[in-house]
Amino acid sequence: MKNKSTIIKYINIVILQLTFISMATAAGSTEDFLRSTGKIYSVVAVILVIFIGIVIFLFRLDNKLTKLENQIKNEQ
Amino acid sequence: MKGIWWKILGVLIFIYVLVGGLTVPLKSGITSTDPGNALSGEHLALKIHGYNSHFYSAKKNRAWLKLDSIHALRALNFEVSSENDAVLHFDLPSYFPGKVKAQPLTLILDNEVDGVFVQPNAVFVSVTDTVHSDTIIPSGIWKSADLGHFHEAKSLHFPYRNILNETIRNTFFHVALWFAMFVLLIVGLYHAIKYLMTGDFDHDIQSASFNRIAIMYGVFGIITGSIWAKYTWNTFWTTDVKLNMTAVAMLIYLAYLVLRGSSSDHDRRAKMSASYSIFAFLALIPLVFVIPRLTDSLHPGNGGNPALGGEDLDNTLRLFFYPSIIALILLGTWMASLLIRYQRLKEKIFMSNQ
Repeated sequence: MKNKSTIIKYINIVILQLTFISMATAAGSTEDFLRSTGKIYSVVAVILVIFIGIVIFLFRLDNKLTKLENQIKNEQ
Repeated sequence: MKGIWWKILGVLIFIYVLVGGLTVPLKSGITSTDPGNALSGEHLALKIHGYNSHFYSAKKNRAWLKLDSIHALRALNFEVSSENDAVLHFDLPSYFPGKVKAQPLTLILDNEVDGVFVQPNAVFVSVTDTVHSDTIIPSGIWKSADLGHFHEAKSLHFPYRNILNETIRNTFFHVALWFAMFVLLIVGLYHAIKYLMTGDFDHDIQSASFNRIAIMYGVFGIITGSIWAKYTWNTFWTTDVKLNMTAVAMLIYLAYLVLRGSSSDHDRRAKMSASYSIFAFLALIPLVFVIPRLTDSLHPGNGGNPALGGEDLDNTLRLFFYPSIIALILLGTWMASLLIRYQRLKEKIFMSNQ
């Protein structure tokens, strides 16, 4: 059951990222949010991508470790 | 504390890069000038809009329109309306050196707060009267070419680059990711060679873990580069040679992950992936370092000689760029070590079951 909840969390993150990307594609005109104040928000977007990527890595490792723990528990 | 210090160091350096890299201001620049062209011999009222400039707070605003190294024209009047807005008044001479009909003029601004900054090709002047040309001695107005002493900007700042603007800060993240990826791949390669030499299964685990994190960095690098491209080159993906070659290199490495997942025989998998990772690394070098330099690329330093210098990477950017690489290497090693510990544990359980 725990695996399922982690998968749901993982999917949530992917959705979050997709909304983010769609937000970026919607930025068509020259004066939109991500281009305001010298395009500083594109730097924020880049940092967010790195952060979300590391969080996905952590969730996957978490998932793997849970599996391993369950395996040890079942053997005992 | 033993064995954890480098992890703390990595986090601290990354915090330094995040805070410093985001708070150090850009140098002043000019975003727009109006009008874009003028006629020789007429009065020019040039409206300028600055970025991060301090026209209002500065007391000694000066401006010039520069034609070449000996011909420049000082502004008669510097009308400041706000920190970022001003109107400059010039009396354009009717005589322009040379026989060219349209002359591009570079705008130079200087004050004691922002230092000196430049807008190339700010105004194009149509020369109406070319009668004088080379025979007549330049009229007195051009003698103001001696610009005198320039001010230095007071605080630490990153270079202002047109189009790039604040996104120059992405150097600390996007570019540093690729540098860190390369170091991690070299560690992975070292362990792959070690495995083939010794046959020690632990080297296979280490090689695979470092390669995995490096590939993750590569994927981050492509996504962050794509976002950066959208706001500077106005598209998520161009046919730029460096982008396509990097994509090929990343696909080769993604195939490495597929290869590792495909075989269930431990020994075979280790041998195959170790030799494949050597091949992949050898393919990466020409793809990323050689081919993009042979043709033109939008990336700085390609289509010619490497350019980790000049305005693209000046000393203030280096203050954060190199620490960022170190931080990302340390954090990557940390993540790889977690994978290594997980794999070792799994291996131990697998062995004890047999």
